[in-house]
Amino acid sequence: MDFNVIIDNFPFLMKGLLTSFQLAFLTIFLSLSLACLIAVGRISNKKYVRYPSAIFVNLLRSNPLILIVFWFFFLVPLITGTPLPAFGSVLIAFVVFFSAYFAEIVRSGIQSVGNMQIKAAQSTGLTYPQTMRLIILPQALRNMLPALVTECVIVFQGTTIAYIIGMREFLHSTSLVAERTIRPIELYLFAALVYLIICFTGTRIATLLEKKE
Amino acid sequence: MNSPLVEIKDLSLKYGDYTALQSINASFFPGKCVVICGPSGSGKSSLLRCVNKLEEFDKGDVIFNGESLKKTKNISQIRSNIGMVFQHFELYPHLSVLSNITLAPIQVKGLSKTEANENAMKLLKRVGIDDQANKYPAELSGGQQQRAAISRALALEPKLMLFDEPTSALDPEMISEVLKVMRDLADNGMSMLVVTHEMGFARDVADEVVFMDEGKIIERSSSKSFFEKPRSERAKEFINKVLLKI
Repeated sequence: MDFNVIIDNFPFLMKGLLTSFQLAFLTIFLSLSLACLIAVGRISNKKYVRYPSAIFVNLLRSNPLILIVFWFFFLVPLITGTPLPAFGSVLIAFVVFFSAYFAEIVRSGIQSVGNMQIKAAQSTGLTYPQTMRLIILPQALRNMLPALVTECVIVFQGTTIAYIIGMREFLHSTSLVAERTIRPIELYLFAALVYLIICFTGTRIATLLEKKE
Repeated sequence: MNSPLVEIKDLSLKYGDYTALQSINASFFPGKCVVICGPSGSGKSSLLRCVNKLEEFDKGDVIFNGESLKKTKNISQIRSNIGMVFQHFELYPHLSVLSNITLAPIQVKGLSKTEANENAMKLLKRVGIDDQANKYPAELSGGQQQRAAISRALALEPKLMLFDEPTSALDPEMISEVLKVMRDLADNGMSMLVVTHEMGFARDVADEVVFMDEGKIIERSSSKSFFEKPRSERAKEFINKVLLKI
């Protein structure tokens, strides 16, 4: 075992980790924003809002992430005629995919707040959008925080999927170094350690948040 | 006679197959305190929630201050003129007591934060909990929470106050502090519709009593005559039950 390969290739590996982080953070930020809209749509009493939201969520949740990534990388350019850059296409696929999962978390969070808070807010003359933004979502967010953090960990692990279309995220960078230096054991151990630290930290945070309630 | 503040016209409400309200007709006049009572499931709370359209009624209409709730394009505007107090307070747990009260005046009426805060502090003083302004609802006792909720409803300077069993979720020793606030409001000429089982309040404070059963108004009379000479058998039975607790 020679762990010097890691030190020698540290900047290259960290660049890959940074890409993974960028992908994860952008995915979380964008898909969570989208998820709030979809979740509100899911519980709307207007059928023309509720049905499309439900179809979107169920369609995406019934497909593997890798297929969605393929769709945006291989098939969308065929339709539009212009290829998307790897990062852009993966990001879109991730946002679309994870927004469906986040939407379900947000929906159950909203429903955990209870109908009477909506009625109370509306009785003071707040409109439905104001009620959602000022009263329901802040409370829902608090209730769903543990589930959200857990999902963020899953998003981070999911960034490895970008490997298959050649994006140099952390796992891909690790594997490139492993092939070049013929030191797969050291490198994949290192990769496992990095994912363990990040994801275990996330899971611990989720557990602590759960206990706090 | 002045014109009614609330006119309920042939109002019906169903929850699925269950009929909550059957062709209700009633008018309520400004400055009056009216208690709505009756056995549980009689439709009192449903009727109250129709007055600010928190419940979508199937048939009929409610006219508030001359405006039809059925036809209005701006229900939020109408609701901001009707304060409502709920059985379980329904304060916003993520906001301080002060923010609970100032939220709607700022968002709905466009008051400045300073102005809204000043008004809120006056209201909190009036209900005797101005020292609790910066606490969160969970840190207050039930009675204090309900008084905060009343302040929240009053902050919009409503023309009408609706009380939906405001003391039913309170410990006995806290009921009187809430009733005192309500009595004070009635004495100051606030128009009030109160769903309650507090017959003492109905007798001493209310101008009129509306007795409901099975989604219908059975009897309506001045509170004095309701308690002394109830006309219907069902009202007699009800009064005996709640007053004598037999």
